[in-house]
Amino acid sequence: MKKLNQNTYVTPTRREALFGLGAGLGSVALTSLLHGNEPDRTHHPAAAKRCIFLMMEGGPSHIDTFDPKPALTKRHLEAFTRSGDMESAMSSGKRYFVKSPFDFIKAGQSGADICTEWNHLKEWVDDICFFRGAKVDSVNHPTACYQLNTGNQFGGDPGVGAWVTYGLGTLNENLPGFVVLPRSSYPQGGAGNWSNGFLPAQFQGTPLRPTGSPILNLNPPAGVTAKRQRKNLDLLAELNRMHLAERPGRGELEARLSSYELAYRMQTEVPGILDLDGESQSTLDAYGIGDSATDKFGRKCLLARRLVESGVRFVQAYAGNWDSHDYIQKAHGSLIRSVDKPIAALLKDLKDRDMLKDTLVVWCGEFGRTPDNGLRGGGQSYGRDHNNKAMAMWFAGGGTNAGHTIGATDEIGAEAVECVHHIRDVHVTLLHLLGLDDNRLTYFHAGRHKQLSQFGGQVITELLA
Amino acid sequence: MMRMKVSMRYLVLVISLASVHPIFADDVSEGEKLFALKIQPLIAEKCLACHGGQPDDIQGGFDMRTRDSLLRGGDSFGDEVIVAGKGEESYLFLTASRAEAGYEMPPKEADRLTEEQHWSIRDWINAGAPWPDDKRIAMIQARHAQGEQVATSRALSEEWQNRRYEPEKLWAYRPLKVVDVPADQHPIDWFIDQQLEQVGLPAAPAADAVELARRMSFGFTGLPPNPKAVKTFAADYAQDMGAAAERFATELMESPHYGEHFGLRWLDVARYADSAGFANDYCRPNAWRYRDYVVRAFNNDKRYDDFIKEQIAGDELDPSDPEKLIATGFLRMGPWEQTGMSVFKETRQQWLDDVTDTVGQTFLGHALQCAKCHDHKFDPVPTRDYYSMMAVFSTTQFAEPNTPFLEVENKTGFQSSDAWVKAKVAAYEQQRKGLNEKVAQARKQETADAKVGDNGLDPGDEASLARMSKNITRHNWELDRTRPIALSVYTGNTITRKNVGGRLLLPKSPWEKGEMEKDTILAGGSAYAPTDPVIPGPLSAAVALGNMQSSEFPAGKGSRRLALANWISDEQNPLTARVIVNRIWSWHFGKGLAGNPNNFGGTGALPTHPELLDHLARWFVDNGWSIKKLNHLIVSSKSYQRSSRHPSPELLSERDSKRNLYATFLPRRLTAEELRDAMLFASGELNRQIGGIPARPDINLEVAFQPRQIMGGAASVYEPDRTPEQRNRRSLYAEKVRGLRDPFLESFNQPGPDKSCELRETSTVAPQALTLLNSQEVFERAIGFAIRLVGEDREDDATIDRAFQLALGRAPTPAERAACLKQWTLATDEESSIQHQAKSYPNEIERTVMAEKTGQPYDFVEIMPAYTDYIPDPQPADVDAKTRGLAQVCLVIFNLNEFAYLD
Repeated sequence: MKKLNQNTYVTPTRREALFGLGAGLGSVALTSLLHGNEPDRTHHPAAAKRCIFLMMEGGPSHIDTFDPKPALTKRHLEAFTRSGDMESAMSSGKRYFVKSPFDFIKAGQSGADICTEWNHLKEWVDDICFFRGAKVDSVNHPTACYQLNTGNQFGGDPGVGAWVTYGLGTLNENLPGFVVLPRSSYPQGGAGNWSNGFLPAQFQGTPLRPTGSPILNLNPPAGVTAKRQRKNLDLLAELNRMHLAERPGRGELEARLSSYELAYRMQTEVPGILDLDGESQSTLDAYGIGDSATDKFGRKCLLARRLVESGVRFVQAYAGNWDSHDYIQKAHGSLIRSVDKPIAALLKDLKDRDMLKDTLVVWCGEFGRTPDNGLRGGGQSYGRDHNNKAMAMWFAGGGTNAGHTIGATDEIGAEAVECVHHIRDVHVTLLHLLGLDDNRLTYFHAGRHKQLSQFGGQVITELLA
Repeated sequence: MMRMKVSMRYLVLVISLASVHPIFADDVSEGEKLFALKIQPLIAEKCLACHGGQPDDIQGGFDMRTRDSLLRGGDSFGDEVIVAGKGEESYLFLTASRAEAGYEMPPKEADRLTEEQHWSIRDWINAGAPWPDDKRIAMIQARHAQGEQVATSRALSEEWQNRRYEPEKLWAYRPLKVVDVPADQHPIDWFIDQQLEQVGLPAAPAADAVELARRMSFGFTGLPPNPKAVKTFAADYAQDMGAAAERFATELMESPHYGEHFGLRWLDVARYADSAGFANDYCRPNAWRYRDYVVRAFNNDKRYDDFIKEQIAGDELDPSDPEKLIATGFLRMGPWEQTGMSVFKETRQQWLDDVTDTVGQTFLGHALQCAKCHDHKFDPVPTRDYYSMMAVFSTTQFAEPNTPFLEVENKTGFQSSDAWVKAKVAAYEQQRKGLNEKVAQARKQETADAKVGDNGLDPGDEASLARMSKNITRHNWELDRTRPIALSVYTGNTITRKNVGGRLLLPKSPWEKGEMEKDTILAGGSAYAPTDPVIPGPLSAAVALGNMQSSEFPAGKGSRRLALANWISDEQNPLTARVIVNRIWSWHFGKGLAGNPNNFGGTGALPTHPELLDHLARWFVDNGWSIKKLNHLIVSSKSYQRSSRHPSPELLSERDSKRNLYATFLPRRLTAEELRDAMLFASGELNRQIGGIPARPDINLEVAFQPRQIMGGAASVYEPDRTPEQRNRRSLYAEKVRGLRDPFLESFNQPGPDKSCELRETSTVAPQALTLLNSQEVFERAIGFAIRLVGEDREDDATIDRAFQLALGRAPTPAERAACLKQWTLATDEESSIQHQAKSYPNEIERTVMAEKTGQPYDFVEIMPAYTDYIPDPQPADVDAKTRGLAQVCLVIFNLNEFAYLD
């Protein structure tokens, strides 16, 4: 039995060796990797080979998307009180219930609850497994984002995508295994949300920026032409070889030589993947590219498909900000519109390419929202606060239980009450679908075998197909 | 004041019971012995949590609490769990040895049993699976148990209290074992060479002068040697190698850059940053004074025991001494914030956990967090000790008191820093005024019973107002940077705070407001689950095993931290000197004698040269806890001076595949900071000022202008300092913002400031090559380097020689010189036909972010005062074709393996 333990990354797979050369990798090892076969590194047969994680930053309201609460309509603007140890400044003051401004329907064969703002996604509910049982620990954006993304509220740990690529390796030698498509502004907590944490640097999420150079420093600076750069690289190689000749067997120096050639190749190959020109107009239209309401997230969804097709293991695409303390109709309304069509197109596209069956698509934010609101600028406002005890989340493809809604929240959506699971169990389930066992995907650090779930968790079997 | 004699709790009780008492007629069977000594503890530790710990929640219906229930089996395997006499067929063995797919037990890979444990299970079953009663088990254990018990304070469970440890894993707690070294021998070489002789591996010869000069210069100052110093050193070295090395070391340690370089390594452990992280990522305007305190401490060779006391308890030692108040900044270094959205009880607990663990890792080589929820799995650290240690900090409170500047502190740049902050705030205020006027006119009364956003405003109006207010608050706090204030602590009651968005003042009377925290063990580590009370105290295992004198920790209003600091810096403390000596060793050699400088526990690597480590620890204490003296001792050894190349690489890999024996010096890559500083050194642009407020170098502009979310909107962009002189300071001084890392430094493995870093890692990834080849900052250094070289007005071949001297500390070979000259000529030819546009630096930027309130994007213009009269570093347009041609060669030099690696 394979033992993924005591930090096996020192024998990287052939492909990850090329994007991220581990320190101390000798020429012999490198050569064998170049000609070797990719070993299967899963712990058990995987339902999903890759993952697209649609991260709805800011905390989308479950109550206004996929978890209707008619009880709130009756109690709209009635006073609401909250107390207890967990009370924070947010929950003080005069509070009142807020109904959802949206209408809900039962969509598809499965009769899934969905608000009518999801004009496109409602056609795809039979491919989706909705989950209403998840909880997180924090009501604060950065800590909750860190927990959702890394398992640890206080940051510093590897992102889910870093764990997955550490576990499975990447499938494209010229691309990072874990790609992040951030919004034009980075989330609270910054790049710590896709950190490699204590894992080696090659597992860090690589953000592909929506504007400017997609990867930092991908092009020569002003003052260095492409032709000149090639000649510079040739001189560099010549001088480095003289240096190496006197230091035989120094693998890390050889690895550094190779990393320059890879960097050179990336300069031409990365833009090719990002270039959407080869896509048909009908595809662009389907994703809403060109329409200002959907263009941004449409590009991310299409890019996500292209990246997983090119062998990237884990793509995380950000949308938001869903932090609607005010004007939920307006704010959630435009946000839903901005992602609805692109996501529907992504699901269709994956299905048409027969990729949905082994591509896990996850949709969630860092927490849900409250059934009530506090005074905003002295008056009432139709918005919602943060809620760590109930949230919206769904999965599609990759071996999930399509056409089902799992778990439930209470009558007003304040708290998950059925099939209740801490977010760590969602992490364990996600790894499980990708063929990885959280208890065995460990890395020894600071005196302990660290794992994504922190201290272990369980697979939520109800979510599995 | 409540005091308690700690000695009462630590009656020294170290029992080693490795031998069987021959007096008793041994009526105990081998099977019983196996059960009592191996199987029962194994079941308790690895199985019962799921199979019997909570009787109402027994997994798989399999109850392992008694022999009967064990024999009954569970849902998956019935009585075939144990087939008495047939160990290898029993499912207990098959699952525990992970031979039964899908039923590997225990399920966690981290908990997997050792092969020896599999055999014990098999042999026990073969012996009929006997299960003696508790009394008999106790008797067998008393008579036959192997391993060592440790008299710790008191565990949560009796089993843990009575557990036994492999004696060699307790090495760090035992008193130093000092072996006498013959008077005519260098102690380091004496120990190192003995081990080399044992394996029959000859040591490499001494390094050549240039290699050693570079090794020492970077090793002591983080900077390359200047060509003159190399020349002098080489001449001295030819005369007397040892004396030359010692003289050079003295010189380097007299340079103020020594403190910068050693300080940086300490700051890795302390997790230095200039901001608080999380949602607001507020600045910590006075953190820089702690950074400079550390630099001073190394430069002045402050006794390490004082260094400990000041950082842990400077305020309790002498609150009127600014230096000591500044030193306590150590306790404030972790990421922390309290906003209106968080629960104070939790963020307070988060800090208490963080400081307890950090003090453990930093000074005692123990990650204490492992004992937060349960008695430590591997080390003799009961949960009680964790909370006793935490109790030391439960009266520690945050404050930023007035603290006069010391004469030695660098106060340059205050004016321009304030001017920039004021200009930034003024720009926001003006924009806000305009927007407020617009909003006042345009806002329509909303008709509904509550706000729905139908108010006549543009999507970003309200968001912009919130964003500007938040940034004004953030920037105004930055004005404290130039004020005589210390990031510090005091001892007093805990005052609940809803929101911390500015400076915290020292209360007039620390015990008046708030409450004294109750010190208890927290079940499962939860702030909401207090259990047994505890009193402040040390690590009981170190007291017991280290034969330490009893010490008294005050409770109540006493100086708890001072007591802890005294206990840590006690000469008898077995951990402290070993930990620091090992760190210093690792800073010189790239690895510790004990492989995990932050972890001396059972899961850390055992020391490769335990006697040497102990010898150095004793030597260090005997020599006044002087780090400079220790450095001298290390550098004067042949082990340090060895070549990194072994005459017989095959023999080296055969006899020392892990490179643990120091037959050669281990080559290393420069750290991120060293790489940047070495380029500035070569180009002559390095501003060598010591200390002061953080510098803002140029960083990748896309990252600088990348909007990032903070609570209430998007943070202001990153603006560099106005002049090259301000920007081109050593990387140590670059402002360290938790939410915005410099991609150059991050890419070369600068550790994130959230967790203590025991030792830098080195990875080789393609983005590093892209950074050195393509980044604007590196290219500007190359142009600067070329300008310097051309300005020195030498012949072309001498210019190339000079470039090699400055960058690599040596002259080029004829082949290297020829290749570079050829490239220079070609590049100059190409450049002659290229016109470069002068770059312009707009002082405002249009940015797009999403408005939370409306869920729609909006654009706004942000003013960047730093660019109003920004003086850029030299650009291609500023220089002639020949200089530009040379800059291409300089760029190649900065990318060389030799530039990045030390022999």
